[in-house]
Amino acid sequence: MTSLEVTDLSVTIGSTPILKNLSITLGAGSFTAILGPSGCGKTTLLRTIAGLIPPSAGTIRFGKQLVSVSSLVLPPHKRKIGYVPQEGGLFPHLSVGENIGFALNKSDLTKDQRRIIVAEMLELIGLTKFIDRSPHELSGGQQTRVALARALAIEPKIVLLDEPFSALDAQLRNELREEVSLLLKRRATTAIMVTHDREEALVSADIVALMRDGEIVQYGSPAEVYLQPLTAEVAISTGDALLLPATRGKNGILHPLHAQYSKTRSSQEKSEQGSIVIRPEEIKISMKKESSAIASLITRLDYYGHDAMVELNLEKSDFLGAIRVRIPGPVHCSVGDRVFISHVGPIRFFPE
Amino acid sequence: MPSLDIAAESRIEAAPMKKTSLLHRGSLALTALLLALAGIPFFYLFQRASGASGSEISALLFREKTLSIFFNTFSLIFLVSLGAVLIGAGFATLLYAVKITRSALFLLLATLPLAIPSYVFTYSWIAIFPWFRGIWAAALVLTFSTMPYIFLATYAALRRVDLVQIEVARSLGFNRLEVFTKIVLPQIRGAIGASLLLVILYVLSDFGAVSLLGVDTFTRTIQNLYKASFDRQSAAILGLILMFIAATIILIEERVHKKNIASNSSVRVQSSASLITKPMAKLASLSLIVIYSFLALALPAYVLTTRMIANFQEIDYPALASATFNTLLVSTFGAIIAIAFALPLSWTIIATRSRFALFTEKVVLITHALPGVVLGLSLVAFGSKISWLYQSVGLLSFAYALLFLAKAVGNTRASMEKIPPILKEVSLTLGVSPLSTFRKITLPLAAPGIWVGFLLVLLTAMKELPATLMLRPTGFETLAVEIWSASTLSQFNQAAPYAFTLIALAAIPTFILSRPDRIQQESNHVEKERWRE
Repeated sequence: MTSLEVTDLSVTIGSTPILKNLSITLGAGSFTAILGPSGCGKTTLLRTIAGLIPPSAGTIRFGKQLVSVSSLVLPPHKRKIGYVPQEGGLFPHLSVGENIGFALNKSDLTKDQRRIIVAEMLELIGLTKFIDRSPHELSGGQQTRVALARALAIEPKIVLLDEPFSALDAQLRNELREEVSLLLKRRATTAIMVTHDREEALVSADIVALMRDGEIVQYGSPAEVYLQPLTAEVAISTGDALLLPATRGKNGILHPLHAQYSKTRSSQEKSEQGSIVIRPEEIKISMKKESSAIASLITRLDYYGHDAMVELNLEKSDFLGAIRVRIPGPVHCSVGDRVFISHVGPIRFFPE
Repeated sequence: MPSLDIAAESRIEAAPMKKTSLLHRGSLALTALLLALAGIPFFYLFQRASGASGSEISALLFREKTLSIFFNTFSLIFLVSLGAVLIGAGFATLLYAVKITRSALFLLLATLPLAIPSYVFTYSWIAIFPWFRGIWAAALVLTFSTMPYIFLATYAALRRVDLVQIEVARSLGFNRLEVFTKIVLPQIRGAIGASLLLVILYVLSDFGAVSLLGVDTFTRTIQNLYKASFDRQSAAILGLILMFIAATIILIEERVHKKNIASNSSVRVQSSASLITKPMAKLASLSLIVIYSFLALALPAYVLTTRMIANFQEIDYPALASATFNTLLVSTFGAIIAIAFALPLSWTIIATRSRFALFTEKVVLITHALPGVVLGLSLVAFGSKISWLYQSVGLLSFAYALLFLAKAVGNTRASMEKIPPILKEVSLTLGVSPLSTFRKITLPLAAPGIWVGFLLVLLTAMKELPATLMLRPTGFETLAVEIWSASTLSQFNQAAPYAFTLIALAAIPTFILSRPDRIQQESNHVEKERWRE
């Protein structure tokens, strides 16, 4: 169990700055997901922590050990990192057992001790029977598990996972990510996973760090980053979000789902322009007229089975854009229906 | 604030942080050594030639003899290029178009001439037709010897052509001939061009065939100047000219090569549809190949066998055994040295992409284009200054390594580049040192390519003649030398057992290299491997 502390880390490749003064601290034994679009520098961050890319500035510490400061960079093979790259990166010329035992040869373990560790690891990932198989005889999910076992076998200080599930199909991905986060929890290993899949980040990690253009824009528990995004951009990247224009003034925050929106909007003086973010599940939809509910018309309905995404146009409103609402199944409405919607939940206002 | 005690901590925790690993420094050092060694011939030639005055040079250049050397050399290049491209590319296209199931046999037939040195070809023709002499004879023999280069490259390129493209073109209303000229030909032109370069360099550096047939080219003249009169200065000047011609051809080829488009599809569709479907046309195509191989292979085989039998009582077995042993010894040493340099050079190129490494690679390529005569000449001069090196097995092996290093580098580098970098990175993060990572990941994964490089150097070194003649220790007879000395005296019966053994030995690596799966595999990165045979 080792904590990780990255301070003011900058990485420049060629003349392009990839990471800019990035700082992040991860507690010992925590599982952090770094969530960001492709090209935001998340893989570079991972590889810099692993020692594969030299930083141009900043420090990296594993616990108390300083592994990277200005020009002094501990080479990767002295960092005790468990790196699980995309698609596993298994050594094609070695069997599953040899892959897992790969780094154990040099340490001062006896042959029997090595065999025991490999057997333990295989049992941990449930692939005991596959010890003599070649990597190409394994499925994608099995390859990922072997790669994880190979990383854990050296009892790493920190495990780095680079989009470990991206090559898998949806169902396998769900199963495997539960399995992996459980496994890491059980061994209390500090782990970082980078991903561009928001669901994956929220489900499996204790801490989610949102990354954009080489910077961490927010980090916190999954609920924190989902419910209390610091910017509208964060809100969009952690889940479906409805972005509506809004004003803030002495009458409070006015937005299209506010009953008084159309009446009082023009009278609101000295108001601050901005937008609010509403999660689609925070809008209640009803067939009956309720107080403060707004009448609207269903213009589109995407049916997913367990729920549906509905697009609505507000009646009698200055706001002409579409409102997207998630409604739980069973779904009883259809395109053209007149329904009443009301907002239940926090108002997140972001000034322009 | 943790950053306050950085200085103190960094001394304790992160003390010995070297920027470069042992592997890195070692490879750089070996590459530098290679560059220094590969520079010897260039240095020598310039130094020798610079001793000559302007009038001496112009006297040498503008005498009638020199002009005829130029004429002979370039006529040969023209005739052989024409012949080799027509036959090599033609056969490859036929074999590809016919698409028979047992193509392996035909592949082998077309590749096997690689195992036969040009002087053995020549020797078997002279043995039957004593009037076989002159430039046309040389053109014929060299066409046979070089055709496999074009054939293999074209065949590999053809297999890369996506059959879907052909089917699409057909569906758009193009006939077979149009499909070939508009779709197929543009995609194989690059491969033909690259292999044509090898053919031209082969002709430039061939010594055995032209000498036996009495055609005065650069190589023969240089050897004669060196041997008859020990006129090193004129030899060096001619050598320098030869080097310039070779380097110019390489540069031209590089220009042209850059313009060629590589196939854009990574997925090839192998369809079983053949382009030539009529049984008679099929038969005709195949018989062409058979007739050719009869001329190219059966004739030498017949001569060698009959002469062997005629001479059976008189075969000097101890001499044969020792020549065989010597041949294997020096060529194996040469191949080992070549690989020993190819590995660090390839590693340095891939890991650093530095100008220094790429420059060294260029030097190696130009050295590959140097005729054995020229390299022999300069190493003789170099060796004669160091007594323990002069006429030693070591120097001869080193000459082979230097001459054929490009073949080893091409294959080693290509196979190393195919290894995903992530594998090395994972190994490093697991705590395995760079050197162990090289040993446990890079070497085993690049092994097939390294092997091919080794075999190619071995194969070519076994057949090498002019450098061997110049550099071998006195009394050190190899198979090539024995064949050579017997055939220059027209003692064909005596040469037969040596030639037979040499071809038998050289056929083994040729056979391994001509296997269809090999060609298939190679074709995937043929672009980077044009320095392979």
